[in-house]
Amino acid sequence: MTALLTLDKVSRRFDALWAVRDVNLTVEKGELLGLIGPNGAGKSTLFNLIAGALLPSGGEIVFDGQNVTTWKSHQIARIGIARTFQIPKPYRQLSVVENVMLTAFQHNHAVRAARELAVRSLNDVGLQDYVDAPVTTLTVGLLKRLEVARALALQPKLVLFDEIMAGLTPTEVGVMTKFIAELPARGITVVWVEHVLHAIMRTATRIVVLNRGELIANGKPADIAKDPAVIKAYLGEELSLA
Amino acid sequence: MMPRRGSRVSVFELALLAVFGVLAIAVLPPTMQDIAVLTFLWAGLALAWNLAGGYAGLISFGHAAFFGIGAYASTILFVNLGLTPWIGIWIGGLIAGAAGAILAVICARLRGPFFILSTLAASEVVRIAALNWATLTGGPEGLSIPPVPGLANMVFASKDAYVIMMLVFLVAVFAFTKWLEGSRYGYYLFAVRDDADAASAAGVNPLLVRTVAMALSAGITGIGGSLFAQYFLYLDPTFMISPELSFQFALLAAVGGLGSAVGPVLGSFLITPMSELLRAYLGNHAAGLHLVIYSGLLIVVMLYFPGGIAGALARLSGGRGKR
Repeated sequence: MTALLTLDKVSRRFDALWAVRDVNLTVEKGELLGLIGPNGAGKSTLFNLIAGALLPSGGEIVFDGQNVTTWKSHQIARIGIARTFQIPKPYRQLSVVENVMLTAFQHNHAVRAARELAVRSLNDVGLQDYVDAPVTTLTVGLLKRLEVARALALQPKLVLFDEIMAGLTPTEVGVMTKFIAELPARGITVVWVEHVLHAIMRTATRIVVLNRGELIANGKPADIAKDPAVIKAYLGEELSLA
Repeated sequence: MMPRRGSRVSVFELALLAVFGVLAIAVLPPTMQDIAVLTFLWAGLALAWNLAGGYAGLISFGHAAFFGIGAYASTILFVNLGLTPWIGIWIGGLIAGAAGAILAVICARLRGPFFILSTLAASEVVRIAALNWATLTGGPEGLSIPPVPGLANMVFASKDAYVIMMLVFLVAVFAFTKWLEGSRYGYYLFAVRDDADAASAAGVNPLLVRTVAMALSAGITGIGGSLFAQYFLYLDPTFMISPELSFQFALLAAVGGLGSAVGPVLGSFLITPMSELLRAYLGNHAAGLHLVIYSGLLIVVMLYFPGGIAGALARLSGGRGKR
Protein backbone atom coordinates (compact mmCIF):
# COMPACT_ATOMS: atom_id res chain seq x y z
CA MET A 1 0.00 0.00 0.00
CA THR A 2 1.18 3.50 -0.75
CA ALA A 3 0.00 6.66 0.91
CA LEU A 4 -2.13 8.88 -1.32
CA LEU A 5 -2.98 11.53 1.25
CA THR A 6 -1.07 12.33 4.41
CA LEU A 7 -2.11 14.78 7.13
CA ASP A 8 0.64 15.71 9.54
CA LYS A 9 -0.47 17.50 12.72
CA VAL A 10 -3.14 19.39 10.80
CA SER A 11 -4.96 21.99 12.90
CA ARG A 12 -7.50 24.68 12.37
CA ARG A 13 -8.50 27.26 14.92
CA PHE A 14 -11.51 29.57 14.82
CA ASP A 15 -10.57 32.27 17.31
CA ALA A 16 -10.19 30.41 20.61
CA LEU A 17 -11.81 27.20 19.37
CA TRP A 18 -9.72 24.41 17.88
CA ALA A 19 -12.11 22.88 15.37
CA VAL A 20 -9.42 20.43 14.28
CA ARG A 21 -6.31 19.79 16.38
CA ASP A 22 -3.10 17.91 15.52
CA VAL A 23 -4.75 15.37 13.26
CA ASN A 24 -2.37 12.77 11.84
CA LEU A 25 -3.95 10.65 9.15
CA THR A 26 -2.76 8.60 6.20
CA VAL A 27 -5.10 7.50 3.44
CA GLU A 28 -3.79 4.61 1.37
CA LYS A 29 -4.43 4.24 -2.33
CA GLY A 30 -7.57 2.18 -2.94
CA GLU A 31 -8.99 2.65 0.56
CA LEU A 32 -12.57 3.35 1.43
CA LEU A 33 -12.05 5.33 4.58
CA GLY A 34 -14.98 6.29 6.76
CA LEU A 35 -14.75 9.40 8.90
CA ILE A 36 -17.28 9.54 11.71
CA GLY A 37 -17.85 11.50 14.87
CA PRO A 38 -20.57 13.26 16.83
CA ASN A 39 -22.02 16.61 15.77
CA GLY A 40 -19.46 19.39 15.95
CA ALA A 41 -16.53 16.97 16.02
CA GLY A 42 -14.78 18.86 13.22
CA LYS A 43 -15.51 16.46 10.37
CA SER A 44 -16.62 19.14 7.94
CA THR A 45 -13.73 21.40 8.93
CA LEU A 46 -11.24 18.59 8.31
CA PHE A 47 -12.93 18.03 4.97
CA ASN A 48 -12.68 21.66 4.00
CA LEU A 49 -9.00 21.70 5.00
CA ILE A 50 -8.22 18.79 2.69
CA ALA A 51 -10.34 20.29 -0.12
CA GLY A 52 -8.61 23.66 0.13
CA ALA A 53 -11.76 25.53 1.13
CA LEU A 54 -10.09 26.41 4.45
CA LEU A 55 -6.44 27.08 5.23
CA PRO A 56 -4.90 25.09 8.11
CA SER A 57 -3.69 27.05 11.12
CA GLY A 58 -0.88 24.53 11.38
CA GLY A 59 0.39 21.24 10.04
CA GLU A 60 1.01 19.85 6.60
CA ILE A 61 -1.08 18.14 3.93
CA VAL A 62 0.64 16.02 1.30
CA PHE A 63 -1.24 14.54 -1.63
CA ASP A 64 0.34 12.24 -4.19
CA GLY A 65 3.84 13.36 -3.15
CA GLN A 66 3.07 17.09 -3.32
CA ASN A 67 2.75 19.46 -0.40
CA VAL A 68 -0.67 21.00 -0.96
CA THR A 69 -1.12 22.60 2.46
CA THR A 70 -1.75 26.13 1.18
CA TRP A 71 -3.37 25.28 -2.16
CA LYS A 72 -6.71 26.81 -3.04
CA SER A 73 -9.72 24.63 -3.78
CA HIS A 74 -9.53 24.95 -7.59
CA GLN A 75 -5.89 23.83 -7.46
CA ILE A 76 -6.80 20.92 -5.21
CA ALA A 77 -9.52 19.90 -7.69
CA ARG A 78 -7.06 20.02 -10.57
CA ILE A 79 -4.62 17.56 -8.95
CA GLY A 80 -7.40 15.04 -8.55
CA ILE A 81 -9.33 15.57 -5.32
CA ALA A 82 -13.08 15.82 -5.86
CA ARG A 83 -15.59 16.70 -3.17
CA THR A 84 -19.30 16.89 -2.54
CA PHE A 85 -21.02 19.51 -0.42
CA GLN A 86 -23.05 18.55 2.64
CA ILE A 87 -25.65 21.11 1.59
CA PRO A 88 -25.87 20.61 -2.18
CA LYS A 89 -24.54 23.55 -4.18
CA PRO A 90 -26.00 23.24 -7.67
CA TYR A 91 -25.60 25.91 -10.33
CA ARG A 92 -29.23 27.01 -10.16
CA GLN A 93 -29.63 28.43 -13.64
CA LEU A 94 -28.13 25.42 -15.42
CA SER A 95 -29.59 22.07 -16.38
CA VAL A 96 -28.68 18.84 -14.60
CA VAL A 97 -26.20 17.72 -17.25
CA GLU A 98 -24.64 21.18 -17.44
CA ASN A 99 -24.06 21.03 -13.69
CA VAL A 100 -21.99 17.89 -14.20
CA MET A 101 -20.27 19.19 -17.36
CA LEU A 102 -18.56 21.89 -15.32
CA THR A 103 -16.46 19.27 -13.52
CA ALA A 104 -16.18 17.12 -16.65
CA PHE A 105 -14.44 20.01 -18.42
CA GLN A 106 -11.38 19.40 -16.25
CA HIS A 107 -10.26 16.52 -18.46
CA ASN A 108 -12.45 17.14 -21.52
CA HIS A 109 -12.09 20.59 -23.00
CA ALA A 110 -14.50 19.95 -25.85
CA VAL A 111 -18.13 20.64 -24.95
CA ARG A 112 -19.36 17.46 -26.64
CA ALA A 113 -16.87 15.21 -24.85
CA ALA A 114 -17.65 16.86 -21.51
CA ARG A 115 -21.35 16.29 -22.10
CA GLU A 116 -20.79 12.61 -22.90
CA LEU A 117 -18.79 12.10 -19.72
CA ALA A 118 -21.42 14.03 -17.75
CA VAL A 119 -24.21 11.82 -19.10
CA ARG A 120 -22.23 8.68 -18.17
CA SER A 121 -21.69 10.09 -14.71
CA LEU A 122 -25.43 10.78 -14.37
CA ASN A 123 -26.21 7.21 -15.47
CA ASP A 124 -23.88 5.94 -12.74
CA VAL A 125 -25.94 7.58 -10.01
CA GLY A 126 -29.32 6.84 -11.59
CA LEU A 127 -30.11 10.35 -12.81
CA GLN A 128 -30.42 9.35 -16.48
CA ASP A 129 -34.04 10.53 -16.63
CA TYR A 130 -33.13 14.08 -15.58
CA VAL A 131 -30.28 14.89 -17.99
CA ASP A 132 -31.81 18.00 -19.57
CA ALA A 133 -34.10 18.98 -16.68
CA PRO A 134 -33.57 22.30 -14.91
CA VAL A 135 -31.61 21.57 -11.76
CA THR A 136 -34.23 23.40 -9.69
CA THR A 137 -36.72 20.56 -10.32
CA LEU A 138 -34.61 18.03 -8.37
CA THR A 139 -35.56 16.92 -4.85
CA VAL A 140 -32.99 16.91 -2.04
CA GLY A 141 -32.25 13.24 -2.54
CA LEU A 142 -31.67 13.74 -6.24
CA LEU A 143 -29.48 16.78 -5.55
CA LYS A 144 -27.31 14.60 -3.30
CA ARG A 145 -26.89 12.17 -6.17
CA LEU A 146 -26.07 15.07 -8.47
CA GLU A 147 -23.30 16.06 -6.05
CA VAL A 148 -21.85 12.55 -6.39
CA ALA A 149 -22.14 12.61 -10.20
CA ARG A 150 -20.42 15.98 -10.28
CA ALA A 151 -17.54 14.83 -8.10
CA LEU A 152 -16.96 11.68 -10.13
CA ALA A 153 -17.02 13.60 -13.45
CA LEU A 154 -13.77 15.19 -12.28
CA GLN A 155 -12.23 11.71 -12.77
CA PRO A 156 -10.50 12.10 -9.42
CA LYS A 157 -7.85 10.02 -7.68
CA LEU A 158 -9.50 10.78 -4.36
CA VAL A 159 -13.10 11.69 -3.67
CA LEU A 160 -14.39 13.26 -0.48
CA PHE A 161 -18.05 12.49 0.24
CA ASP A 162 -19.72 14.71 2.84
CA GLU A 163 -22.92 13.15 4.23
CA ILE A 164 -24.34 12.11 0.88
CA MET A 165 -26.90 9.76 2.47
CA ALA A 166 -28.84 12.41 4.38
CA GLY A 167 -32.25 12.91 2.79
CA LEU A 168 -32.12 9.66 0.84
CA THR A 169 -34.79 6.96 1.18
CA PRO A 170 -33.65 3.56 2.56
CA THR A 171 -33.76 2.09 -0.96
CA GLU A 172 -31.65 4.95 -2.29
CA VAL A 173 -29.18 4.49 0.56
CA GLY A 174 -28.81 0.84 -0.42
CA VAL A 175 -28.17 1.62 -4.09
CA MET A 176 -25.76 4.42 -3.27
CA THR A 177 -23.83 2.32 -0.73
CA LYS A 178 -23.32 -0.42 -3.28
CA PHE A 179 -22.17 2.14 -5.84
CA ILE A 180 -19.64 3.70 -3.46
CA ALA A 181 -18.31 0.31 -2.44
CA GLU A 182 -17.34 -0.30 -6.08
CA LEU A 183 -15.35 2.92 -6.47
CA PRO A 184 -11.98 1.62 -5.16
CA ALA A 185 -12.09 -1.08 -7.84
CA ARG A 186 -12.36 1.73 -10.39
CA GLY A 187 -9.16 3.26 -9.04
CA ILE A 188 -10.86 5.93 -6.93
CA THR A 189 -9.88 6.25 -3.29
CA VAL A 190 -12.72 7.39 -1.03
CA VAL A 191 -12.89 9.40 2.17
CA TRP A 192 -16.44 9.41 3.38
CA VAL A 193 -18.04 11.41 6.19
CA GLU A 194 -21.41 10.02 7.16
CA HIS A 195 -24.07 10.26 9.78
CA VAL A 196 -25.96 7.24 8.43
CA LEU A 197 -23.68 4.88 10.36
CA HIS A 198 -24.98 1.51 9.25
CA ALA A 199 -24.18 2.36 5.63
CA ILE A 200 -20.62 3.41 6.37
CA MET A 201 -19.88 0.66 8.91
CA ARG A 202 -20.79 -2.00 6.36
CA THR A 203 -18.89 -0.49 3.48
CA ALA A 204 -15.73 1.19 4.76
CA THR A 205 -12.44 -0.72 4.84
CA ARG A 206 -11.30 1.42 7.76
CA ILE A 207 -12.92 3.94 10.08
CA VAL A 208 -11.43 6.91 11.87
CA VAL A 209 -13.33 8.71 14.61
CA LEU A 210 -13.07 12.40 15.27
CA ASN A 211 -14.20 13.95 18.53
CA ARG A 212 -13.75 17.59 19.57
CA GLY A 213 -11.31 18.12 16.74
CA GLU A 214 -9.05 15.19 17.62
CA LEU A 215 -8.74 11.66 16.24
CA ILE A 216 -9.76 9.25 19.01
CA ALA A 217 -9.92 5.95 17.15
CA ASN A 218 -8.66 4.35 13.99
CA GLY A 219 -9.34 0.78 12.87
CA LYS A 220 -11.61 -1.79 11.31
CA PRO A 221 -15.35 -1.06 11.57
CA ALA A 222 -15.97 -4.02 13.89
CA ASP A 223 -13.27 -2.87 16.32
CA ILE A 224 -14.43 0.75 16.20
CA ALA A 225 -17.95 -0.24 17.20
CA LYS A 226 -16.58 -1.84 20.40
CA ASP A 227 -14.08 0.91 21.21
CA PRO A 228 -14.98 2.39 24.65
CA ALA A 229 -13.63 5.84 23.72
CA VAL A 230 -15.85 5.93 20.66
CA ILE A 231 -18.93 4.80 22.58
CA LYS A 232 -18.23 7.44 25.21
CA ALA A 233 -17.83 10.13 22.55
CA TYR A 234 -21.22 9.33 21.16
CA LEU A 235 -22.63 9.56 24.72
CA GLY A 236 -24.89 6.62 24.53
CA GLU A 237 -25.81 7.04 20.88
CA GLU A 238 -25.89 3.47 19.74
CA LEU A 239 -23.50 2.39 17.05
CA SER A 240 -25.77 0.21 15.02
CA LEU A 241 -24.12 -2.31 12.77
CA ALA A 242 -27.39 -3.49 11.29
CA MET B 1 -36.43 20.21 -20.66
CA MET B 2 -33.90 22.91 -21.19
CA PRO B 3 -32.60 23.94 -24.57
CA ARG B 4 -29.01 23.25 -25.41
CA ARG B 5 -27.05 26.40 -25.89
CA GLY B 6 -26.40 27.54 -29.43
CA SER B 7 -22.84 28.37 -30.28
CA ARG B 8 -23.24 30.21 -33.58
CA VAL B 9 -25.16 33.14 -34.90
CA SER B 10 -27.88 31.73 -37.11
CA VAL B 11 -28.40 32.85 -40.69
CA PHE B 12 -31.85 33.99 -39.63
CA GLU B 13 -30.47 36.29 -36.94
CA LEU B 14 -27.89 37.75 -39.31
CA ALA B 15 -30.52 38.29 -42.01
CA LEU B 16 -32.84 39.99 -39.56
CA LEU B 17 -30.11 42.38 -38.41
CA ALA B 18 -29.14 43.06 -42.03
CA VAL B 19 -32.78 43.92 -42.81
CA PHE B 20 -32.75 46.45 -39.98
CA GLY B 21 -29.54 47.93 -41.39
CA VAL B 22 -30.92 48.17 -44.93
CA LEU B 23 -34.16 49.69 -43.67
CA ALA B 24 -32.26 52.24 -41.60
CA ILE B 25 -30.27 53.30 -44.64
CA ALA B 26 -32.94 53.10 -47.35
CA VAL B 27 -36.10 54.19 -45.55
CA LEU B 28 -35.23 56.45 -42.64
CA PRO B 29 -34.67 60.16 -43.28
CA PRO B 30 -31.21 61.33 -42.13
CA THR B 31 -32.59 62.92 -38.94
CA MET B 32 -34.06 59.58 -37.90
CA GLN B 33 -30.90 57.69 -38.84
CA ASP B 34 -29.34 58.95 -35.63
CA ILE B 35 -31.82 56.78 -33.79
CA ALA B 36 -30.70 53.72 -35.75
CA VAL B 37 -27.04 54.53 -35.06
CA LEU B 38 -27.69 54.78 -31.33
CA THR B 39 -29.96 51.71 -31.26
CA PHE B 40 -27.24 49.52 -32.78
CA LEU B 41 -24.48 51.02 -30.65
CA TRP B 42 -26.38 50.75 -27.37
CA ALA B 43 -27.38 47.18 -28.28
CA GLY B 44 -23.71 46.27 -28.70
CA LEU B 45 -22.85 47.99 -25.43
CA ALA B 46 -25.73 46.33 -23.56
CA LEU B 47 -24.38 43.00 -24.85
CA ALA B 48 -20.92 43.93 -23.58
CA TRP B 49 -22.35 44.87 -20.17
CA ASN B 50 -24.24 41.58 -20.14
CA LEU B 51 -20.99 39.59 -20.39
CA ALA B 52 -20.11 40.77 -16.89
CA GLY B 53 -23.55 41.53 -15.44
CA GLY B 54 -25.62 38.73 -16.96
CA TYR B 55 -23.18 35.89 -17.52
CA ALA B 56 -20.65 36.37 -14.73
CA GLY B 57 -23.04 37.97 -12.23
CA LEU B 58 -20.83 41.04 -11.88
CA ILE B 59 -23.49 43.76 -11.86
CA SER B 60 -21.66 46.96 -12.72
CA PHE B 61 -22.97 50.50 -12.44
CA GLY B 62 -19.65 51.86 -13.60
CA HIS B 63 -19.37 50.83 -17.21
CA ALA B 64 -19.54 54.43 -18.43
CA ALA B 65 -15.97 54.72 -17.12
CA PHE B 66 -14.81 52.10 -19.63
CA PHE B 67 -16.88 53.77 -22.33
CA GLY B 68 -15.19 57.09 -21.51
CA ILE B 69 -11.71 55.57 -21.26
CA GLY B 70 -12.06 54.07 -24.74
CA ALA B 71 -13.46 57.27 -26.21
CA TYR B 72 -10.81 59.50 -24.65
CA ALA B 73 -7.95 57.13 -25.53
CA SER B 74 -8.71 56.91 -29.24
CA THR B 75 -9.57 60.61 -29.46
CA ILE B 76 -6.42 61.81 -27.67
CA LEU B 77 -4.30 59.53 -29.85
CA PHE B 78 -6.05 60.88 -32.95
CA VAL B 79 -6.19 64.59 -32.10
CA ASN B 80 -2.81 64.92 -30.37
CA LEU B 81 -0.70 62.32 -32.13
CA GLY B 82 -2.50 61.92 -35.43
CA LEU B 83 -2.98 58.17 -34.97
CA THR B 84 -5.83 56.89 -37.15
CA PRO B 85 -8.89 55.81 -35.12
CA TRP B 86 -8.81 52.50 -37.01
CA ILE B 87 -5.89 51.65 -34.73
CA GLY B 88 -6.92 53.94 -31.87
CA ILE B 89 -10.19 52.13 -31.15
CA TRP B 90 -8.27 48.90 -30.44
CA ILE B 91 -5.88 50.71 -28.13
CA GLY B 92 -8.87 52.33 -26.42
CA GLY B 93 -10.42 48.88 -26.02
CA LEU B 94 -7.19 47.45 -24.59
CA ILE B 95 -6.82 50.26 -22.04
CA ALA B 96 -10.48 49.97 -21.01
CA GLY B 97 -10.08 46.17 -20.77
CA ALA B 98 -7.02 46.57 -18.54
CA ALA B 99 -8.99 49.00 -16.35
CA GLY B 100 -11.79 46.41 -16.11
CA ALA B 101 -9.30 43.69 -15.13
CA ILE B 102 -7.79 45.89 -12.42
CA LEU B 103 -11.24 46.73 -11.05
CA ALA B 104 -12.13 43.02 -10.99
CA VAL B 105 -8.93 41.97 -9.23
CA ILE B 106 -9.51 44.59 -6.54
CA CYS B 107 -13.31 44.45 -6.20
CA ALA B 108 -14.61 41.11 -7.55
CA ARG B 109 -14.14 39.51 -4.12
CA LEU B 110 -16.87 41.84 -2.87
CA ARG B 111 -20.36 40.38 -3.01
CA GLY B 112 -23.65 41.75 -4.28
CA PRO B 113 -24.36 45.37 -3.41
CA PHE B 114 -20.80 45.99 -2.25
CA PHE B 115 -19.41 45.13 -5.67
CA ILE B 116 -22.04 47.31 -7.36
CA LEU B 117 -21.13 50.26 -5.13
CA SER B 118 -17.44 49.77 -5.83
CA THR B 119 -18.05 49.99 -9.59
CA LEU B 120 -20.07 53.16 -9.12
CA ALA B 121 -17.28 54.67 -7.02
CA ALA B 122 -14.58 53.63 -9.49
CA SER B 123 -16.39 55.30 -12.37
CA GLU B 124 -16.75 58.50 -10.35
CA VAL B 125 -12.97 58.46 -9.85
CA VAL B 126 -12.51 58.21 -13.62
CA ARG B 127 -15.03 61.00 -14.24
CA ILE B 128 -13.37 63.36 -11.77
CA ALA B 129 -9.96 62.54 -13.25
CA ALA B 130 -11.28 63.35 -16.74
CA LEU B 131 -12.74 66.63 -15.49
CA ASN B 132 -9.53 67.72 -13.79
CA TRP B 133 -6.76 66.39 -16.01
CA ALA B 134 -7.41 69.25 -18.40
CA THR B 135 -4.12 69.08 -20.31
CA LEU B 136 -5.00 65.60 -21.50
CA THR B 137 -8.79 65.55 -21.59
CA GLY B 138 -9.72 69.19 -22.08
CA GLY B 139 -11.35 69.14 -18.66
CA PRO B 140 -14.98 70.22 -18.43
CA GLU B 141 -14.85 71.76 -21.90
CA GLY B 142 -14.24 68.35 -23.38
CA LEU B 143 -12.49 67.33 -26.57
CA SER B 144 -13.54 67.78 -30.18
CA ILE B 145 -12.63 65.69 -33.17
CA PRO B 146 -12.16 67.88 -36.29
CA PRO B 147 -15.21 67.21 -38.51
CA VAL B 148 -13.10 66.46 -41.56
CA PRO B 149 -14.64 63.50 -43.39
CA GLY B 150 -12.28 60.84 -44.64
CA LEU B 151 -11.81 57.10 -44.36
CA ALA B 152 -8.46 57.42 -42.53
CA ASN B 153 -10.07 59.81 -40.04
CA MET B 154 -13.03 57.45 -39.52
CA VAL B 155 -15.23 60.51 -39.89
CA PHE B 156 -18.03 60.31 -42.44
CA ALA B 157 -20.28 62.88 -44.07
CA SER B 158 -23.08 60.38 -44.60
CA LYS B 159 -25.05 58.88 -41.71
CA ASP B 160 -25.25 55.65 -43.74
CA ALA B 161 -21.61 54.96 -42.94
CA TYR B 162 -22.29 55.28 -39.19
CA VAL B 163 -25.33 53.01 -39.45
CA ILE B 164 -23.13 50.35 -41.05
CA MET B 165 -20.29 50.94 -38.58
CA MET B 166 -22.52 50.47 -35.53
CA LEU B 167 -24.32 47.49 -37.09
CA VAL B 168 -20.99 45.77 -37.70
CA PHE B 169 -20.06 46.46 -34.06
CA LEU B 170 -23.38 45.00 -32.89
CA VAL B 171 -23.08 41.90 -35.07
CA ALA B 172 -19.50 41.31 -33.91
CA VAL B 173 -20.40 41.54 -30.21
CA PHE B 174 -23.53 39.43 -30.76
CA ALA B 175 -21.52 36.72 -32.56
CA PHE B 176 -18.91 36.75 -29.80
CA THR B 177 -21.59 36.44 -27.12
CA LYS B 178 -23.21 33.51 -28.90
CA TRP B 179 -19.87 31.78 -29.26
CA LEU B 180 -19.04 32.34 -25.61
CA GLU B 181 -22.45 31.05 -24.52
CA GLY B 182 -21.83 27.66 -26.10
CA SER B 183 -18.18 27.34 -25.12
CA ARG B 184 -16.43 25.97 -22.07
CA TYR B 185 -15.61 29.52 -20.94
CA GLY B 186 -19.29 30.44 -21.05
CA TYR B 187 -20.05 27.58 -18.66
CA TYR B 188 -17.29 28.79 -16.35
CA LEU B 189 -19.00 32.18 -16.21
CA PHE B 190 -22.41 30.66 -15.39
CA ALA B 191 -20.85 28.41 -12.75
CA VAL B 192 -19.03 31.21 -10.97
CA ARG B 193 -22.16 33.36 -11.08
CA ASP B 194 -24.40 30.61 -9.65
CA ASP B 195 -22.04 29.17 -7.02
CA ALA B 196 -18.39 30.17 -6.77
CA ASP B 197 -17.61 27.48 -4.15
CA ALA B 198 -18.94 24.70 -6.34
CA ALA B 199 -17.11 26.12 -9.36
CA SER B 200 -13.92 26.18 -7.36
CA ALA B 201 -14.40 22.54 -6.37
CA ALA B 202 -14.73 21.79 -10.09
CA GLY B 203 -11.26 23.21 -10.71
CA VAL B 204 -12.43 26.63 -11.90
CA ASN B 205 -10.60 29.66 -10.49
CA PRO B 206 -13.41 32.13 -9.68
CA LEU B 207 -11.21 35.22 -9.43
CA LEU B 208 -9.61 34.53 -12.81
CA VAL B 209 -12.98 33.91 -14.45
CA ARG B 210 -14.41 37.12 -13.01
CA THR B 211 -11.36 39.11 -14.05
CA VAL B 212 -11.45 37.83 -17.63
CA ALA B 213 -15.20 38.47 -17.88
CA MET B 214 -14.81 42.02 -16.60
CA ALA B 215 -11.83 42.69 -18.89
CA LEU B 216 -13.73 41.46 -21.97
CA SER B 217 -16.83 43.41 -21.05
CA ALA B 218 -14.86 46.58 -20.32
CA GLY B 219 -12.70 46.22 -23.43
CA ILE B 220 -15.69 45.92 -25.75
CA THR B 221 -17.33 48.84 -23.96
CA GLY B 222 -14.15 50.86 -24.57
CA ILE B 223 -14.30 50.07 -28.30
CA GLY B 224 -17.94 51.16 -28.28
CA GLY B 225 -16.88 54.41 -26.61
CA SER B 226 -14.31 55.05 -29.32
CA LEU B 227 -16.93 54.43 -32.01
CA PHE B 228 -19.30 56.82 -30.27
CA ALA B 229 -16.56 59.48 -30.22
CA GLN B 230 -16.08 59.05 -33.98
CA TYR B 231 -19.80 59.52 -34.50
CA PHE B 232 -20.51 62.33 -32.04
CA LEU B 233 -17.15 64.10 -32.63
CA TYR B 234 -17.30 65.67 -29.20
CA LEU B 235 -16.42 64.25 -25.79
CA ASP B 236 -17.99 65.68 -22.67
CA PRO B 237 -17.02 64.01 -19.38
CA THR B 238 -20.32 64.85 -17.69
CA PHE B 239 -22.13 62.71 -20.27
CA MET B 240 -19.47 60.19 -21.35
CA ILE B 241 -18.66 59.04 -17.81
CA SER B 242 -22.00 59.65 -16.12
CA PRO B 243 -23.82 57.23 -13.79
CA GLU B 244 -26.87 57.74 -16.06
CA LEU B 245 -24.98 56.17 -18.94
CA SER B 246 -23.84 53.28 -16.74
CA PHE B 247 -27.43 52.68 -15.65
CA GLN B 248 -28.53 52.77 -19.26
CA PHE B 249 -26.22 49.88 -20.24
CA ALA B 250 -27.49 47.88 -17.29
CA LEU B 251 -31.17 48.72 -17.89
CA LEU B 252 -31.14 47.85 -21.58
CA ALA B 253 -29.65 44.46 -20.73
CA ALA B 254 -31.99 43.86 -17.78
CA VAL B 255 -35.15 44.84 -19.66
CA GLY B 256 -34.14 42.65 -22.61
CA GLY B 257 -33.11 39.69 -20.49
CA LEU B 258 -29.96 39.08 -18.45
CA GLY B 259 -27.68 36.25 -19.40
CA SER B 260 -29.03 35.80 -22.91
CA ALA B 261 -27.53 36.92 -26.20
CA VAL B 262 -30.82 38.09 -27.68
CA GLY B 263 -32.00 39.98 -24.59
CA PRO B 264 -29.81 43.09 -24.69
CA VAL B 265 -30.43 43.43 -28.44
CA LEU B 266 -34.20 43.29 -27.89
CA GLY B 267 -33.87 45.72 -25.01
CA SER B 268 -32.07 48.31 -27.10
CA PHE B 269 -34.29 47.83 -30.16
CA LEU B 270 -37.36 48.47 -28.02
CA ILE B 271 -36.16 51.15 -25.65
CA THR B 272 -33.60 53.24 -27.55
CA PRO B 273 -35.97 54.39 -30.35
CA MET B 274 -38.76 54.97 -27.83
CA SER B 275 -36.52 56.95 -25.52
CA GLU B 276 -35.01 59.01 -28.37
CA LEU B 277 -38.43 59.76 -29.90
CA LEU B 278 -39.88 60.73 -26.55
CA ARG B 279 -36.91 62.97 -25.91
CA ALA B 280 -37.38 64.60 -29.33
CA TYR B 281 -41.15 65.10 -29.09
CA LEU B 282 -41.33 66.14 -25.47
CA GLY B 283 -38.23 68.24 -25.81
CA ASN B 284 -38.18 71.27 -23.59
CA HIS B 285 -41.85 71.08 -22.60
CA ALA B 286 -41.26 68.16 -20.32
CA ALA B 287 -37.55 67.70 -20.02
CA GLY B 288 -36.75 64.41 -18.35
CA LEU B 289 -40.21 62.90 -18.81
CA HIS B 290 -38.73 60.26 -21.11
CA LEU B 291 -36.62 59.12 -18.15
CA VAL B 292 -39.76 58.76 -16.01
CA ILE B 293 -41.46 56.61 -18.65
CA TYR B 294 -38.25 54.66 -19.16
CA SER B 295 -37.94 53.92 -15.44
CA GLY B 296 -41.62 53.01 -15.16
CA LEU B 297 -41.22 50.50 -17.95
CA LEU B 298 -38.23 49.02 -16.19
CA ILE B 299 -40.19 48.52 -12.97
CA VAL B 300 -43.00 46.78 -14.87
CA VAL B 301 -40.54 44.47 -16.61
CA MET B 302 -38.68 43.64 -13.39
CA LEU B 303 -41.96 42.91 -11.57
CA TYR B 304 -43.71 40.82 -14.18
CA PHE B 305 -40.97 39.57 -16.51
CA PRO B 306 -37.88 38.91 -14.39
CA GLY B 307 -36.36 37.10 -17.38
CA GLY B 308 -36.74 40.28 -19.44
CA ILE B 309 -38.34 40.45 -22.85
CA ALA B 310 -36.27 37.49 -24.04
CA GLY B 311 -37.51 35.41 -21.10
CA ALA B 312 -41.13 36.37 -21.70
CA LEU B 313 -40.88 35.51 -25.41
CA ALA B 314 -39.26 32.18 -24.59
CA ARG B 315 -42.15 31.34 -22.28
CA LEU B 316 -44.69 32.35 -24.95
CA SER B 317 -43.08 30.08 -27.51
CA GLY B 318 -43.25 27.15 -25.11
CA GLY B 319 -39.77 27.51 -23.69
CA ARG B 320 -38.03 26.93 -26.98
CA GLY B 321 -36.14 30.22 -26.86
CA LYS B 322 -32.70 30.65 -25.39
CA ARG B 323 -32.64 31.87 -21.87
